[in-house]
Amino acid sequence: MAGNFWQSSHHQQWLLDKTDLIRDRQHDLNILTEEEYQKIFNFFASIIQALGEQLKVRQQVIATATVYFKRFYARNSLKCIDPLLLAPTCVFLASKVEEFGVISNSRVMTTCQTVIKTKFGYAYGQQEFPYRSNHILECEFYLLENLDCCLIVYQPYRPLLLFVQDMGQDDQLLTYAWRIVNDSLRTDVSLLYPPYQIAIAALHIACVMLGNESQKSWFAELNVDMDKIQEIVRAIINLYEMWKSYDEKKEIQGLLAKMPKPKPAPQR
Amino acid sequence: MQKYEKLEKIGEGTYGTVFKAKNKETHEIVALKRVRLDDDDEGVPSSALREICLLKELKHKNIVRLYDVLHSEKKLTLVFEHCDQDLKKYFDSLNGEIDLDVVKSFMYQLLRGLAFCHSHNVLHRDLKPQNLLINKNGELKLADFGLARAFGIPVKCYSAEVVTLWYRPPDVLFGAKLYTTSIDMWSAGCIFAELANSGRPLFPGSDVDDQLKRIFKLLGTPNEDTWPGVTQLPDYKPLPVYQPSLGLAQVVPRLPARGRDLLARLLTCNPALRMPADDAMAHAYFHDLNPSVKNDRC
Repeated sequence: MAGNFWQSSHHQQWLLDKTDLIRDRQHDLNILTEEEYQKIFNFFASIIQALGEQLKVRQQVIATATVYFKRFYARNSLKCIDPLLLAPTCVFLASKVEEFGVISNSRVMTTCQTVIKTKFGYAYGQQEFPYRSNHILECEFYLLENLDCCLIVYQPYRPLLLFVQDMGQDDQLLTYAWRIVNDSLRTDVSLLYPPYQIAIAALHIACVMLGNESQKSWFAELNVDMDKIQEIVRAIINLYEMWKSYDEKKEIQGLLAKMPKPKPAPQR
Repeated sequence: MQKYEKLEKIGEGTYGTVFKAKNKETHEIVALKRVRLDDDDEGVPSSALREICLLKELKHKNIVRLYDVLHSEKKLTLVFEHCDQDLKKYFDSLNGEIDLDVVKSFMYQLLRGLAFCHSHNVLHRDLKPQNLLINKNGELKLADFGLARAFGIPVKCYSAEVVTLWYRPPDVLFGAKLYTTSIDMWSAGCIFAELANSGRPLFPGSDVDDQLKRIFKLLGTPNEDTWPGVTQLPDYKPLPVYQPSLGLAQVVPRLPARGRDLLARLLTCNPALRMPADDAMAHAYFHDLNPSVKNDRC
């Protein structure tokens, strides 16, 4: 549905205030530092991405699933639901909402087992994916409720396409900016800013990366709050800075061990 | 679920049973729609999800409100605004002919709800009197968005009851796969005629062939001249060539000339020429609409 963003639940209910967001995370941030928290979300965004790619869904479905995941933990501690269970549930729900067609629960299960074993062995070692399909079905209810049934998520991809067209720009800029939008899913910007602003920020970073000076006037003529754009740019640049000195393969097991967990652990 | 006291069963929806219930704290009357979760592999059915996400975004006085979604063990319950009756029951309760001002008011509200949906790129796809709810204040609301999805229209609904063909446009009956807002406008036309005739359905066909014949007997059988591309539709079949018959005056005798003109523009076989909802709202037929209906803001 390409309806009206300004009247949408996304705009009216799900653009959060940064101070509220930090306050709601306080429980988890007593245990994890902000950076550790971000690294954990980065890891689960990778899991969602890998599941989506393995299931051959569109990037839009992956992006929506990632936003569901972030929205859930914006209101809940990590100990409410194991993110390893919530991640596939978000993909399952998003694929239905985005009209990709229903991916059967059993297919989600086998995909989880494969992906965890082949791609995330560095985090889970020899462990099998510990959940079964009834866990996902139950979790789907819980997710729906916590999202307050707001399932339609607007993504920056469509405005991005329109902006690049308006600039009269080539595919290279689009490719870069598109990737930056994908990366932005690993920050909090999708919870804090409207998608068109994220698209502009991604274009801005892409122009700087490509040394493209010709678009300065395009940005200057935009009627947007440039302070907001700068905040988004900073959040994404911070992510890139963090990546430079971060070796997920070495650190993630420690982080997962430290992460607040539900009790009791699921039965195998 | 303890929040609501079930009062009575109202009916069967696309994917579950509907109950009338009372909120124990506020005493507000609501409609509860229980979602069946038969197919364990699908989780929450996509038709229910579709309705939930659309109604969450579409807030308008001519669209039924979704208040809440409750879940327990293995059940999902949608809590809707309750309306006293649907248009079908309203027809059944009529004593004699319907008031023509009511026809105009209902039709305008139907078009306003549709215009809102269509401006949000949402198609209803299953408009019929049972899906239009009427409350005590004479307000009409679109309901049952369970089929409002992009995977074509199933011929059978959950209770194995055949989905009615009566409100389907000829392009869909010929197997057109690309649905546009015009699908709802045809249904609105059929409902308009039914309103004007106090509840007598316009095209009560028994199967696809019969449905098409009934339509073409009134409007004439389309051909490549009147409707370019019609013979290329997937399920196109040559039907007897009927000439446009009677004229609408005999079909909807109580409707004034302007109303018949609007009806003709909605009941246009070629979907490309069918009038859209916002244009229909501006039609001369509504010039003397009661201002309290027109000006009502949502």
